[in-house]
Amino acid sequence: MSAKFDLNDDSLVVIIGSGAGGGTLSNELAQKGIRSVILEAGKRFTFDDIENDEWKMFGKISWLDKRYVEGPARIAKDFPNLPAWIVKGVGGATMHWAGVAMRFQEHEFKMKTTNGTVAGANVLDWPVTLEEMAPYYEKAESKMGVCGTKATGMPYHGKSSHYKVVEEGAKRIGAKCEQANLAINTEIRDGRASCQVNGFCMQGCKVGAKWSTMYTEIPKAEATGKVELRPQSMVLRIEHDNTGKVTGVLYADKDGNQHLQKARIVAVAGNSIESPRMLLNSESSMFPAGLANSSGQVGQNYMTHTTGGVYAEFEKPVHMYKSTVVPGIVHEWKDNDPSRGHLAGYELEVLHLGLPFMSAFLNPGQGGWGRELANSLENYDNMAGFWICGEDMPVESNNVTLHPTEKDQYGLPVPVVYKTDHINDTRMRNHAYDRSKELFDSIGALKVNNLPPYPASHNMGTNRMSEHARDGVVNRWGQAHDIKNLFVSDGSQFTSSGTENPTLTIVALAIRQADYIADQMKRKEI
Amino acid sequence: MNKNKKSLFSFGKSVNSNADEPCVNRREFLSKTGKIALGASAVVIGGGLFSPESFAAKKIGIHGNATLLKMARDIYPHDTLENKYYVKVMSPMSEAAEKDSDLFKLLAEGVESLDTISVEKFDLKYVDIKSESDRVVVLKSLEASPFFQKIKGALMMGIYNNPELWPRFGFGGSAWEKGGYINRGYDKNDWI
Repeated sequence: MSAKFDLNDDSLVVIIGSGAGGGTLSNELAQKGIRSVILEAGKRFTFDDIENDEWKMFGKISWLDKRYVEGPARIAKDFPNLPAWIVKGVGGATMHWAGVAMRFQEHEFKMKTTNGTVAGANVLDWPVTLEEMAPYYEKAESKMGVCGTKATGMPYHGKSSHYKVVEEGAKRIGAKCEQANLAINTEIRDGRASCQVNGFCMQGCKVGAKWSTMYTEIPKAEATGKVELRPQSMVLRIEHDNTGKVTGVLYADKDGNQHLQKARIVAVAGNSIESPRMLLNSESSMFPAGLANSSGQVGQNYMTHTTGGVYAEFEKPVHMYKSTVVPGIVHEWKDNDPSRGHLAGYELEVLHLGLPFMSAFLNPGQGGWGRELANSLENYDNMAGFWICGEDMPVESNNVTLHPTEKDQYGLPVPVVYKTDHINDTRMRNHAYDRSKELFDSIGALKVNNLPPYPASHNMGTNRMSEHARDGVVNRWGQAHDIKNLFVSDGSQFTSSGTENPTLTIVALAIRQADYIADQMKRKEI
Repeated sequence: MNKNKKSLFSFGKSVNSNADEPCVNRREFLSKTGKIALGASAVVIGGGLFSPESFAAKKIGIHGNATLLKMARDIYPHDTLENKYYVKVMSPMSEAAEKDSDLFKLLAEGVESLDTISVEKFDLKYVDIKSESDRVVVLKSLEASPFFQKIKGALMMGIYNNPELWPRFGFGGSAWEKGGYINRGYDKNDWI
């Protein structure tokens, strides 16, 4: 049923990327009868490709093209070529996510209004409010099948041993802890299975209980006959005409042959490193700083969330791996309360790693060896822990730029990612480490290990939304300020990171954007 | 720490955990065959996989292999884990070094550096330093080297990504084919 379109068909929407943003947008448009081509850099995987094996799946689905990490942060030393832990494949990062689906809080759409100017940060309000987003969040929760919400009526997963340990610790220190809203079925729903708790949510769900565009939006879009997905199609540049409108997308297929797909509209959804990179690579005499970059903000304000890990060792078994990966969240510090010593909030997301990844991330980098580490790993089955996920200050100098000389396998300049903490991030992380230790100590932890940030799966902000063209790349609809038939449909349009995992908001924005695009097409505005 | 080590690593007898004599069973075996006096080199020979008859062992040499094994056990020291798991990681590397001159150079020079630093600091070759913390001092000074990092990386995969060892560490591995944990105790916890 998949459509097949001609390269010269200039009536199409060309969507770059098939993840939470691109995959959702294609299906939403298709349901309205709007035709699109999806150019996806990665392969198309099937359920047979999905294994419960951390390193095998890492090797199979990760985006491992050459990248550099720069900056004084430890991640640049520990993972000099892996700034981000995301996916190259149909479904994009919806393969590699734990399903956590929380709405932003009201204040997170207006950080500038809430906190004023923050020294050393480039803080801005979103040109969108929670009130406006609420109906789209509701649609996104329903589409994705988020448990514990009104939108689906699906119950939570039930308390795993890992959750119970954290819940008790939270109770003892008076912190609010709840089971997580996960886009993972707890009932058979939407033609997908119910979760059987394999414990490998983070790398492709073998039974399809977790929402991923790979087996939801994409096949649904294809079934309409309005969408053609072209996997292994790496975008080289976006073309424009002399009026400044985009006209098509040049890409290389799996054999390296180049094709130019004409377009009426182009939507960029390649995640926060590739999306700005495409715009920068599309520089021309008309747009010497790259497409849609009159503000100079393309590639800037790269945010990852303020992260870290905390794993406590106990005397008795927790067997945390027998659980959904994120069974619960400690919400106590998600609000914006400057009296804590930092602005914005964070969540402690109960999260397990398997033994293979624990050995790599407990003390990542060159120094991760020796008896202390080995002793902790011998206690693997007695561990419980968090991934800290907090709001990351937008800092203009945290950015994605193009390497001046080095090219990748497609002949494109290698992306260079500069990322380091704003002082607020450091204070927030330390606060989170301290509270986590308190929580675990209250239930008799023998040892509490703090893990530094590892490569980011939440990448945001590099084509940010702004009310005024001077402050950002896209408007409230994700439409480029400079080019009206060019859209950004992924997390790179985030003005601020919020503390919540980004996928639900990306999906809600994509649903909303599809309405806008349909409306604008009808009015012949684009 | 590690109050549960015995139950987790229930293999073998409970002994004093002397890091310098890592493999109890091997040691017993060696005692019986009267080779204990040869120390670490004998451990390696006794290990079988580093047999001196093999081509690899000839090139890297008995001393080289002994040093590499000692180093492997010092990088991720699990006292109750048998040598064979470390050897399984190191032996293919020694064998590959036979054909790969860059790798051979990396390993041979690495062993040499270990000994040079050991002699400088402790007046002994690496394998002869009795105290683990002293050997760690030597290793620490080579931590950033490609030699050290290559061996560390291979061990991380060979020990912690070895499905055969997952039950010993209390990790379940692949679960989907067993129906996950929904009916196999995901909610069981008898102490919290």
